[in-house]
Amino acid sequence: MTDWQAHAERRWAGKRLQRLEDPGMLTGATRYVTDVRLPRMLELAFVRSHAPSARIVSVDLKPARAVPGVRAVLGSADVADVQPTVDIVHLDGALKTPRFTLPGDRVRYVGEPVAAVLADDRYAAEDGADAVIVELEPLGEDEPIHDDIPGGRYFHQAAAHGDVDAAFRQARHVVRRRLHAQRVVTAPLETCGIVADYDTATGELTCYLSTQQPHLARAGLAEAVGLPVSDIRIICPAMGGGFGGKEVILPEYLCAAVAAIRLRRPVRWVEDRSEALTAGAHGKEAEAELEAALDDDGRILAMRSRFVSDTGAYSSGIGAYVEFMVGAFTVPGLYDLGAYAYDTGGVVSHKAPISPFRGVGMTTSQTLREVLLDDAARALGTDRMELRRRNMVADGPWRTVLGEEYEPGSWRTAFERALELIDYDAFLVRQAAARGEGRLLGIGVSPFVEAAGIGSAGGAGGLPGGSHDNATVAIDLSGHITVALPTFSHGQGHRTTAAQLVADMFGVAPEDVRVIDGDTARTPFGMGTFGSRSAVFIAGTVDRAGELVRDKLLRVGEILLEAAREDLELVDGTVGVRGVPSRRIPLASVAGAAHFAPHVRAELGDPTLTATAFFDPPRPTHSNGTIAATVEVDPGTGGVAIDRIVVVEDCGTMVNPMIVEGQIRGGVAQGVGLALLERYVYDESGQPQTTTLAEYLLPRATDMPRIEIEHIETPSENGTGGIKGMAEGPASATPAALACAVLDAIAPHGASIEELPLRPETIAAALASR
Amino acid sequence: MTPVSVTVNGTTHELDVPPRLLLADLLRDELGLTGTKIGCAMGACGACTVLVDGEPVRSCLMFAVQADGRAVRTVEDLAGASGELHPLQAALREHHGLQCGYCTPGMLMAITPLLESGQPLEREDVREAIAGNLCRCTGYETIVDAVVEESRR
Repeated sequence: MTDWQAHAERRWAGKRLQRLEDPGMLTGATRYVTDVRLPRMLELAFVRSHAPSARIVSVDLKPARAVPGVRAVLGSADVADVQPTVDIVHLDGALKTPRFTLPGDRVRYVGEPVAAVLADDRYAAEDGADAVIVELEPLGEDEPIHDDIPGGRYFHQAAAHGDVDAAFRQARHVVRRRLHAQRVVTAPLETCGIVADYDTATGELTCYLSTQQPHLARAGLAEAVGLPVSDIRIICPAMGGGFGGKEVILPEYLCAAVAAIRLRRPVRWVEDRSEALTAGAHGKEAEAELEAALDDDGRILAMRSRFVSDTGAYSSGIGAYVEFMVGAFTVPGLYDLGAYAYDTGGVVSHKAPISPFRGVGMTTSQTLREVLLDDAARALGTDRMELRRRNMVADGPWRTVLGEEYEPGSWRTAFERALELIDYDAFLVRQAAARGEGRLLGIGVSPFVEAAGIGSAGGAGGLPGGSHDNATVAIDLSGHITVALPTFSHGQGHRTTAAQLVADMFGVAPEDVRVIDGDTARTPFGMGTFGSRSAVFIAGTVDRAGELVRDKLLRVGEILLEAAREDLELVDGTVGVRGVPSRRIPLASVAGAAHFAPHVRAELGDPTLTATAFFDPPRPTHSNGTIAATVEVDPGTGGVAIDRIVVVEDCGTMVNPMIVEGQIRGGVAQGVGLALLERYVYDESGQPQTTTLAEYLLPRATDMPRIEIEHIETPSENGTGGIKGMAEGPASATPAALACAVLDAIAPHGASIEELPLRPETIAAALASR
Repeated sequence: MTPVSVTVNGTTHELDVPPRLLLADLLRDELGLTGTKIGCAMGACGACTVLVDGEPVRSCLMFAVQADGRAVRTVEDLAGASGELHPLQAALREHHGLQCGYCTPGMLMAITPLLESGQPLEREDVREAIAGNLCRCTGYETIVDAVVEESRR
């Protein structure tokens, strides 16, 4: 194991290098799944349930077959041999609901696919879908959602760490709060999609797929359609965002794959926006409660939490588990709780199944905890930041009440710096003056910690989150370096980041490094991109694989230059004698000699200039930071104007600060949406009400304030090169900062709110009720 | 089928298209100009924005036949013949004004007329100009930075 920082020079890592992927995206040349067109390709459209809960009486496919351009129609019986999807998450006691590709007996949410129409183009496919006659018999509310999940609760777990009950008995103060964290949608600008292409000569199925996890998608597809994993190739050309919503094998994908195999024609399905909003990647809904026991000094003696996630119609996907599990596990955050008990679980409902969404679970736990701490400070008559200081752990390593080991971070330093930047004391003076004028100003501060690079050892907390990756580094006969990654960049700039790391290792320019991801035929096995993990796993795997190739190159250099290893360096695309520019051999010549010079090959034994290496961090990495926000609430309309958002972020050593800041800004924007705008609505009968982007409000340019960012770099102990990884912390901590700020603004009126988002009408109603 | 004559990025195409074919699909499927993206197909996200006779238009809300006799400009027209980036493209790159890239072509086409007007722009001008273009990745501020700076260059 080596450290890339130790390589000759750190010329590229740490720089704000402009992204290598940008020119293709800016010119429209970059291809996404929706841009893939194959000869003889059919387009797929779905017939979907219009009822939230119903028995399927009949599905008449015949009228669709008569529609011009329609080539085939699939009903439930046609895909009966496809295995129901049940994901790899294993939790004791979880009741898993198998999910059939096209259910034949009943539907459980509006938008559930019941038939598939294949046609020459999407227009004809939709005509065909409209022609299918579906007869549904609505089922009553007393009809169980799944017969084998009595009461609808498919998972429950409760545990106490420390003597929580005794702490509450002894407490001088107990504060409680509930929070309804709303259902939202992940809403990447590119929706989900697949182009499936079956090669009848080789028996290989190639799927162009919009997925964050090419290798896991390959395994999932293989199992469902009954092919060996090696007969499937997943290619992700480029991906227009994911945010957790593209970690799922959709029934639509299975239909496309099966249709391509059966019909011997390529099949494309691109989810349209109304499909995505109605039946696509929803996220986050939870009902949560938190109570804290405190002594007279404002020290937290214990906390108790309760989480119930409504995860939609099926409990088979990973999204059905991560929300409430991560929620319960992340309540301690950066505070010394003394003792902690949680009670958490999930229920099914007649809504679309939820998928993971950036800041999974953490958004709810962070918001609830920080708002409750503000409540506690008000109850005790203590300054809200002072109460946090009394309970926040010191910078450095920390073992939480749950036993999670945090590596050293700048917990308090980041918090205090954020208070300085937002000028907390001066704000309080302004706020008091404004209140005298009837203006409602508020400030909220949200210190966060984020477990990012979670390896096998990190799964011990209860979720099977263990993960590991491989990377391949190779040098070709032109002296160029290829890096193949099992992660998949969908906006995070991995190509640039990986090239910066490798350029330093090999003494070349980042442009001379080709980074490949998103293709299972060209990359080694790994888990993909989710949970802020990629920087840690890219650095760890590339460093190890690169070191093996470097070693080979230097060995050839020893032979060709007749020099000792310690006198050699990789510099400017050569292997050379340190400090002697006249004695350098271009990497192309080194690679050529390894393959073709008999004496070199004989000495090397194995001339292969390719290496694949494995990385599994010994313990999770932890990035941290603090978000501080100031707002003004309009006492008449309840509208919230964000004044400032300050972010102090510490993700360890940064490979490209520009990309880190991009993740911060984008995360904060999503946090603004979750705090103030976004809300997926079903009416009481289970009909979705926010099925277009005119009804579901995503943050727009006019909703965003400037975001002020400052970095701290506390190198990781567990991630290669000090890298900690990041991207979810700012997203999950921003709603807490904004919620605290809004509630601070309206607190003098005795008003409070227990749901997200903080909509103008809710705020106005809260103000008016007092 | 309906005949349509449309000039796209300076080249005139004579085509027979179904009356219901969207301009976005004409560009993407018939002409292979897949730089124009479709994000919502109902005019709410701006990803499909192109210029029609110099004005930003949602190509998902316009039928191909409505473009008959008109000049359409797409993202593919911005960079130079040898691939050198348009100053606006270079500015977005410099300011990290794109991440996944999916909203980027529409964003570029929404901004281009504003920038080509030659006026130095204020931040609010840019925010308003792109208020109909959704981006889920960047939080918009770096896009605003890029355009304001480029307008003052």
